[in-house]
Amino acid sequence: MHQISQHVMKKDHREKIDGTALYVGDFTQQGALCARLVRSPHAHARIEAIHYPRFPEGYYKVDAADVPGENIVHVVEDDSPVFEADEVMFIGDPVAMIIGPDPALVDQLVAATVIDYRELPAILDIHDSDKVFFDYHYHKGDIDAAFAVADKIYEEDFQTPYQEQAYLETQGVIACFQDGQLTVHGSLQCPYYVQAAVIKACGLSAAQVRIQQDYTGGGFGGKEAFPSFIAAQAAVAAMKMPGKSVRLVFDRREDMEFTSKRHPSCCHYKAAVKDGQVTALDIQVLFNSGAFTTLSPVVLQRGIIAAPGVYNVPNLRVNGQALRTHTVPTGAYRGFGAPQTFFAIERLLDHIAADLGQEPIDFKLAHLVKQGDATSTSGLYHFPVPLPQMVAKVMAASDFRSKRTAWAQPQSGRVRKGIGIALWFHGAGFTGAGERDHIKAVVRLRKLADGSVEVLGSNTDIGQGIKTTFAKIVANELDLPLELVNYHNPDTALVPDSGPTVASRSLMTVGELFRRAAVQLKEQWQDGVEQVVEEHYHEPDFMLPFDLPTFHGDSYPTFAWGVAAVELGFDSLTGQNDILGCWACFDVGTPIDEQIVIGQMEGGVLQGLGYSAMEQMAYDSTGRIRNHSYSDYIIPCAADVPKLDVQLHVEEFPFGPYGAKGAGELPLVGIAPAFIAAAEQALATRGLNHIPLTAEESLAYLSAGQKELAK
Amino acid sequence: MVKANYMPTSLPEALGLMAEEELIPYAGGTDLMVSEAPGRDFLFLERIPELTQISQDDQYLHIGAAVTFRNILASDLTPALLREAAASIAAPAIRNTATLGGNIANASPKGDGALICWAADAQLVLAAASGQRTVDIADFYQGRGTTIRRADELLVEILLPKRWLAGASFCKVGARKALAISRVSFAGLFAAESGQIAHLAVALGAVADTVVRRPKIDAMLIGKTFSEAKAALPDYLQAWQAAIQPIRGRVSAEYRKLVCLNLIEDFLVERLSSAHNG
Repeated sequence: MHQISQHVMKKDHREKIDGTALYVGDFTQQGALCARLVRSPHAHARIEAIHYPRFPEGYYKVDAADVPGENIVHVVEDDSPVFEADEVMFIGDPVAMIIGPDPALVDQLVAATVIDYRELPAILDIHDSDKVFFDYHYHKGDIDAAFAVADKIYEEDFQTPYQEQAYLETQGVIACFQDGQLTVHGSLQCPYYVQAAVIKACGLSAAQVRIQQDYTGGGFGGKEAFPSFIAAQAAVAAMKMPGKSVRLVFDRREDMEFTSKRHPSCCHYKAAVKDGQVTALDIQVLFNSGAFTTLSPVVLQRGIIAAPGVYNVPNLRVNGQALRTHTVPTGAYRGFGAPQTFFAIERLLDHIAADLGQEPIDFKLAHLVKQGDATSTSGLYHFPVPLPQMVAKVMAASDFRSKRTAWAQPQSGRVRKGIGIALWFHGAGFTGAGERDHIKAVVRLRKLADGSVEVLGSNTDIGQGIKTTFAKIVANELDLPLELVNYHNPDTALVPDSGPTVASRSLMTVGELFRRAAVQLKEQWQDGVEQVVEEHYHEPDFMLPFDLPTFHGDSYPTFAWGVAAVELGFDSLTGQNDILGCWACFDVGTPIDEQIVIGQMEGGVLQGLGYSAMEQMAYDSTGRIRNHSYSDYIIPCAADVPKLDVQLHVEEFPFGPYGAKGAGELPLVGIAPAFIAAAEQALATRGLNHIPLTAEESLAYLSAGQKELAK
Repeated sequence: MVKANYMPTSLPEALGLMAEEELIPYAGGTDLMVSEAPGRDFLFLERIPELTQISQDDQYLHIGAAVTFRNILASDLTPALLREAAASIAAPAIRNTATLGGNIANASPKGDGALICWAADAQLVLAAASGQRTVDIADFYQGRGTTIRRADELLVEILLPKRWLAGASFCKVGARKALAISRVSFAGLFAAESGQIAHLAVALGAVADTVVRRPKIDAMLIGKTFSEAKAALPDYLQAWQAAIQPIRGRVSAEYRKLVCLNLIEDFLVERLSSAHNG
């Protein structure tokens, strides 16, 4: 492994351990105004009138009438308001905000605010949706011909649920407007996204709006778009009350109930098989976008690009739709649309293989893409595909074949076992032409007279260690001790826009810009003077330009690869599962810090295990999210961490720093299909096409099997 | 918000305060803390020596009502059954402060410590300034969240009969391996003497408003030889089938019932087939 991979102490280790790192909730409340939102109790209704209570001195309302700019929170499209004025679109949709010094009194005033609503029909189920937000189509080959000559045709449906990011720190911002300058700081992933939203809502110029990231206690995508909403709301209030800090920090219940989570999905897959090979896939992907568009177009793009999985299927027809319902708007969560479709394709191939009397892993290996093959969008796999080696490593570590064979036999006894395996990729970096056409990242290095170097970009350290890995890259290139190279929480007044902290792009794309900037600085280096160098993103020449209308071209510059095997034991008396082991191998190119990468891989696997059979979030008949606390939304805790064996396979990417590729999202993506494959073997059933798998459902399969045995 | 803090250091002082004012006994507070009872006054029990000790005599283990689960786990006197249940409760931080008395007096059917006391036919000592009484745990509860404890009384001690605790079994069905509230819980006591079943007690948690214990059903097998008991097992299970009327909650009533019956059957089949027939 590269020498840079050697682990160092994280740059922010000490301040996070000794408590000097300030999170947004740590800032003094002395003199600040507490802000609380007045939210819709209805999934869909017209606002007839708002009756505010009498406000004591120092207490105010803020609503649509107070928005100085446009009443819009800019995300990708401009369809969500800062405050609803006419119609509420989901339970929790903000109509107004109350601000004042005493939180308890603010709560009373929120409770005393009466809004007259006329209820309208609410659509909760995506199958009833009357509005398609986004509708994408792509195809390759001749699908009709392939189906016409097929030996056998398979059709299956798959469902995946909400998943809550469950970051340690809830959402929160503090806004202050003083001397014509608006400052917003808080827990967030993308300072320049927040700045664009605040500029639009407040009618200010970029020079007047400064966004600062505070230490952030986890994001996982949940702080990609959502902070723009609360920043706009707090900023509008701050402009009404110049000189005052307006503090909008959510409690856990509010955060779980009303902030974005993973898109629930329904996928319909139809496959043609000829001479033992899958020759065509006809795929429909439906994502529940909730009340607004938020990030759904990009989530859906990633989801449908991944729809055929890691398999070379020559004929494809893929349709994806993001649909509106009157439920909480969904958004980014690690994996960003891909976990949904990888679940579907992996389960489908498991089932086709079983039907053809083959071991799923052998059937999958016979369909793998390889370097030089066309991608789903008729781009190219430009670089080696190391999946065969990775599968071999995981199968050896898990003793896969002998377990799989043993547990295929009828089982008796209290514990029933199974093992399954899944293969996947994660497109590294922004989807399609986003990096080239929209983000256009810029980075800077400022070398001070004392020889230390400030690394300047807008990417945020949300626990993934970017402060450390950026600094390692620059220090390595300049041959400086790591202590002399520093990366601080970004402040839009001080750093260029190197793009958002999303899409597993920061290290690979922005890290490479920093490496190139460091090369530049080294060439120009003069002792004792301050020097600044700048680098701009250019799409690598090898890429086939991506065209969104036709979904044609290279959707990603390269791919990170994942393989995981999960071994389960089910208690036939209770239906509970025990994860006996999880073996995984990931290729994220060169790890810039091996320990950070291993930690990230383990954490992502655990979120994938939670997604498979533990985390359950549902709304009731009125559209209200029921699982809004940690006693009702069960995520894995320390005691649930199974034996986890994570290996790295390094396939260097020549256009990433030292060969690094995207890493952050990869580990979660394909865990659920591996888990469910193991469950199907243990429960001696086929057709588990949804997650989460509950103990109750597992017990039903085990009891049915018991009766079968008794006969 | 806590309006008044009483932290007595002796039982007479505590009982005097209970007689004078309406106070909520606070024995660990891991449920009270999150329930928010504005304007209520608490009596903290953690500094009362009589309530924070474990001792034993020939018949009983005496557990002070304010003994924490951590101390229950640390004590050499703790029987394996109670140890297993205590270790399944929440997580170390909660066990450092949560108490067996709190678990019982909170009157939730999901209390894992209370379940063991039900299975063991524990007795509870209730004390007041005016005197004390000892009641069977089964008589202590009036329903979910309600007990016969008078406003001036404190639960001071749990008397756990030692005799039948040796061949016991415990199973908890939670949503994860720690920090989980029981969705179904089971405790079973079984003892054989001279080839006959000398004692049998099954208790089920989280399926009704209180823990379910049915001595009359268990009596169907007590006194029987193993072969007689095997023959009577279908009737015994049939009786439980009728007795379990679970409530629907985070999991369905049908699931709760099926798991209870599975666990009861497995427990008895395993005990009756074991080689230690006497």
